[in-house]
Amino acid sequence: MRKVVKKTLRYAASFLLIVTLNFALPRLMPGDPVKNLIGEDVYVSEAVMEELRIEMGLNRPLYEQFTAYIGDLLMFDLGYSYHLHSPVAEVLRERIGWTLLFVGVSVLLGAALGTLLGAYAGWKPETKANRLLCYGFITLSCTPPYFLALLCLHIFAFKLGLFPFKGFYDVPTLGSVMHHMFLPVTVMALFSASRNFLIMRGSVIQEKGQLYALYARAKGLYDISILFRHVIKNASLPIITLLALDFGFLFSGALFTEIVFSLNGMGTLIYDAIMGKDYPVLQGAFLVIALTVLLANMLADLLYAIADPRVRRPT
Amino acid sequence: MMQREVYLQKNTRQWKDFIANYLDLDVRKYKRALKKFNRGGLFLFAFFLILALFPSLFAPYSPTERFISYEAPSTVHLLGTNDIGNDILSELIYGARISMMVGFASACISTLIGLMIGLCSGYFRGTLDELLMGFTDVVLTIPKIPLIIILGAFLHPSIWTLILVLGLLSWESIARVVRSKTLQLRESGYVKSARCMGFSSFHIMISDIFPNLIHVLLPKFMLATASAMISETSLSFLGLGDISMKSWGIMLSFAFSRGGFIRDMWWWYIPPGICITLCVMSIALIGFGFEGREKENEKRGVDAE
Repeated sequence: MRKVVKKTLRYAASFLLIVTLNFALPRLMPGDPVKNLIGEDVYVSEAVMEELRIEMGLNRPLYEQFTAYIGDLLMFDLGYSYHLHSPVAEVLRERIGWTLLFVGVSVLLGAALGTLLGAYAGWKPETKANRLLCYGFITLSCTPPYFLALLCLHIFAFKLGLFPFKGFYDVPTLGSVMHHMFLPVTVMALFSASRNFLIMRGSVIQEKGQLYALYARAKGLYDISILFRHVIKNASLPIITLLALDFGFLFSGALFTEIVFSLNGMGTLIYDAIMGKDYPVLQGAFLVIALTVLLANMLADLLYAIADPRVRRPT
Repeated sequence: MMQREVYLQKNTRQWKDFIANYLDLDVRKYKRALKKFNRGGLFLFAFFLILALFPSLFAPYSPTERFISYEAPSTVHLLGTNDIGNDILSELIYGARISMMVGFASACISTLIGLMIGLCSGYFRGTLDELLMGFTDVVLTIPKIPLIIILGAFLHPSIWTLILVLGLLSWESIARVVRSKTLQLRESGYVKSARCMGFSSFHIMISDIFPNLIHVLLPKFMLATASAMISETSLSFLGLGDISMKSWGIMLSFAFSRGGFIRDMWWWYIPPGICITLCVMSIALIGFGFEGREKENEKRGVDAE
């Protein structure tokens, strides 16, 4: 019970920290906070700026601003983007669905691929094929994700013409979406798999030296069934933690992949926001991404409790 | 002595013995030490390090010298020229220094912070430990790259802010590792006896615990360098890098945004990408090598002295 309280406290603290960061950044950074809140490239006269300052409450004390900010957040009001001429919350709502779909599919694919290959490579680490596999995945994990995306785009879309260059679909049918998503999802899945692979391999190498694996062998089980019935369950526990911790990392990898493939998701939104110095959109995007990652972490904690009975049982 | 000389003259081909005898330098000892690392990684790393230290020896031109722009590779320009007519090969060679500097500097910062937090929370335990580790967990859940993107957008891009931000945001895993090792070390005999003799906690941490942490810190340091380099290229790709200091990431970003990709100039964007991958890989391989050795030591019980 104490552990649950501690976890909840930590999540609450993370949430608070994220919100506070988001509140404090435009006000603490060098430059005029009004400029920081509306975006740098927006040209307004001095009088309008004073008006905005009063309207946003920037002349009031900080704690009042903070309560007002929390109030706005509860109403899903993330500010107004003067570049896109629409509320930030609306812009984000349009974009995040696609990105979540993209990240979700590639994380799941990557986890499955990485776990299975990693388990196999860890079971027989000395064979030549597995060593090659290991080096291949190390190389993949050392490549910046967008470079991999660039290479794939160059080879498969430009040279061979197998896949379209950009966008989610030509016509909104499942086939078209799948055709467009194939390359980006493959890149992201490979990237995610490379991280899972290395952890899984190490974990299986460690687990197969345990006594229960020896006992299973003494009982006369086949190699494959030892691996898949006994070892893999214990070895995949670190993967769940890693998946949660990595979710943020993969999410950011997805942003870059989106930019390369010109997918209309969060990544291109953030790219345009950086180019136009559109701070409200950037902040909103950070808040949404951070909260998504937080949720993914919670989910992983729950999953961990389901997968590992030792966590559930009070000790 | 005479016998030795005769023996050596008979076996002149064994130059290792020869060097060992005359120069008082046992090559085999170094070779044994070398075997413990990942040799491929070490050689690659040495190659990039030399490039970074002495770029002027290898680069055919200065990176700011201008020629005809958008030229294809030829014998004059081995990798062609970019949009403003700089020689790409020279740019590539000069970029090594900047990319590696960002990686190492920010890894230094993060290792230092992680070391201090991990050491304090592992040594003092109790409430301080709970607080510090709670804080570490909280920071760990915040996605790094988006936060760095925001910070980079607000602060004006320069290489120093990049180093500082990357260093300040990636110390958590180091802190955790240091803490768990410190927890283990503080129960060992020599730490206990040092405490009995009345040394201050600070002294014990510095002179008894810290030397035993180095072999856990080194691989973590290498891996932190590798990930900082990848983060740097990613940020440069978004245009948040320092344009006056052309790192590999900025080269890639320029190739993408200034027409290298559309014009199918593979010689512009593939070499920096491959350089980043190889350099990061060499550093990561050295890190993995350290870690592997560490595990072997644990198995043999070297730590349990």
